Amino acid sequence: MTGMQPPIQAQDIRYAYGELEAVKGISFEVGPGEILGFLGPNGAGKSTTIKVLTGQLSPCSGRALILGRSVHEHSAEVQALIGVCFEEKNLYLNMSVKENLDFFARLFSLKHFDAMPLLRRVGLADRAKDRAKNLSKGMKQRLMMARALVNSPSVLFLDEPTDGLDPISSQAIRQVIREEAARGAAVLLTTHDMLEADALSQRVAFINEGRIVALDTPESLKLAHGKRSVKMRMHGTQGVREVVVALDEADAGDKLRAAVADEGLMTIHTEEATLEAIFIKLTGRRLEG
Amino acid sequence: MNPLRVWRVLRKDLALGPRSPFFLWAVAIPVVATVLLQVVFGGLFAPKPRLGIVDDGASEVAVAYQAMDGIAVTMVADEPELKRLVEQHRFDAGLVLPAGFDDAVRSGAKPPLRFFLSGGSLASNRIVLAVTTIDLVRAVEGSAPPVDVQMEILGAADWLPLSARMVPLLVMFSLMIAGMFLPATALVEEKERRTLSALLVTPVKLPEVLAAKALLGILLALVMGLVTLLLNNALGGDVGTLLLAMVVAALMSAEVGLLYGVVSRDMKALFALFKGLNIFLLAPVVFYLFPEWPQWIPKVLPTYWIINPIFDVAVKGAGLGSVWIQLMIALAICVVLAVAIVSLTRRLERTLAAG
Repeated sequence: MTGMQPPIQAQDIRYAYGELEAVKGISFEVGPGEILGFLGPNGAGKSTTIKVLTGQLSPCSGRALILGRSVHEHSAEVQALIGVCFEEKNLYLNMSVKENLDFFARLFSLKHFDAMPLLRRVGLADRAKDRAKNLSKGMKQRLMMARALVNSPSVLFLDEPTDGLDPISSQAIRQVIREEAARGAAVLLTTHDMLEADALSQRVAFINEGRIVALDTPESLKLAHGKRSVKMRMHGTQGVREVVVALDEADAGDKLRAAVADEGLMTIHTEEATLEAIFIKLTGRRLEG
Repeated sequence: MNPLRVWRVLRKDLALGPRSPFFLWAVAIPVVATVLLQVVFGGLFAPKPRLGIVDDGASEVAVAYQAMDGIAVTMVADEPELKRLVEQHRFDAGLVLPAGFDDAVRSGAKPPLRFFLSGGSLASNRIVLAVTTIDLVRAVEGSAPPVDVQMEILGAADWLPLSARMVPLLVMFSLMIAGMFLPATALVEEKERRTLSALLVTPVKLPEVLAAKALLGILLALVMGLVTLLLNNALGGDVGTLLLAMVVAALMSAEVGLLYGVVSRDMKALFALFKGLNIFLLAPVVFYLFPEWPQWIPKVLPTYWIINPIFDVAVKGAGLGSVWIQLMIALAICVVLAVAIVSLTRRLERTLAAG
């Protein structure tokens, strides 16, 4: 292992399910403490890429490196260093909340593991003795998150961690993700929620039909693909009208000052592109699809 | 393969067992089936005749009774106590042997022999105790019986009572439920609930998970098989050989269970497989119930080679010398099953990863 290498490295990864090529040469890196949002519609190749990076699938070609180690040459070693939070709630439902964590701690050979601090972090300390099957959907997801953190992983793979959750549970999970990144963990976050990706990720990767079509910070993507304009609604003698001022125009400042001074000004909107709009622009597809 | 990781997964399965209806079913069904069959066909609750004896003169009759396995004999201090106990139905019968009884019988005198019968005793027990007492008194007297009884065995010389021929059925049932069904359901449940995927992104590998499931099946099949034999009073003479036969049987059962689990996508598919294939696996035991059927037929079925050594040792009292070839054939089948499991495990790994 080389200390300078990024915790997650995907190098020209290709994977095919029989004739169907799901991943067509994906390359990216995630640095320590970085959250990379991995965005794409269903079937784009996100899950396959994660399966290759977590050692569940062997790539047809290319290399997956975690902390400098080849995932497929040292899978057990690599899997001791990663945490994975699945989209589906694959908990042991007949075990208690605490037993779920204790069991996984044993699989990681952790001798002095104490589940309670972790359960406090995800707000489940008071449900430690309850069977997992008796938890709400949000609580189950928080337990999944706690399970992914049992071994204090250096690399976290989070697959739709807040999908379909109530705002409180979503907020709790986002807070934990931020804390893990602050601790130095590299986080690969798969989500359909563009606002979540925008709020959490330092960089986002758009994946479509097995290829990364854009990879940058959310701000850079918005600047590169969005409109630099302001839209205003004005009330005048002929009713309500919209005025759009392109910020790159030479007289943009004058136009804005005039509009603000106008007594008929009702609302002002920036026309900054959303990540979703950029994704649609780049791929012609919506994320949900 | 890391044995420690296998143990950790097995420990989880054992801990979760009592919370699983399948596990409880696997433990309860063989015991319930044994009890039911024993009640219907006799055996488990068929009591030995109970006899209380007051022996005031060290009679040979009392000594002979005490040496008998088939009669529960209790020595009582005096006649009033014996009468009280018989009245309370603590014994089926009570026998009073006065001092000098044996000498009086041998001298040709006809000494009094008091024989009390409990009003609640079974007629069969009364007859057994009365006839046995008369026989033993004749033996003390040294006289030949007044008739010449000619005994002739009709039918097969190796005929076994139905209760003994039921033993393979009950043991096979235990092996199937505990050894096959439990590891199969444990594995399919992990697949269905996707907990297997969660395990496989930790240092645990699929072969280690499968080994844990197989060990679970072997342990339970062994325990439940032995409990079934114990309940049927069929532990045979050579305990070492019986244990060896049981271990081989538990191994094959667990391997079959693992195969079922590996190839079944979900519980529905597993139950369909069980219903379809277990008829063939259970078939050999029917031939013990109907010994007049051609006995070569069950030999073409793999489970014959695990159940017959158990039957030979547990019921017929055979030793290792008589069953080792059968055990070797069973082990060879186990090797073939193991190869099939390894091959299918690779396919399962790909299926799981593909989601």
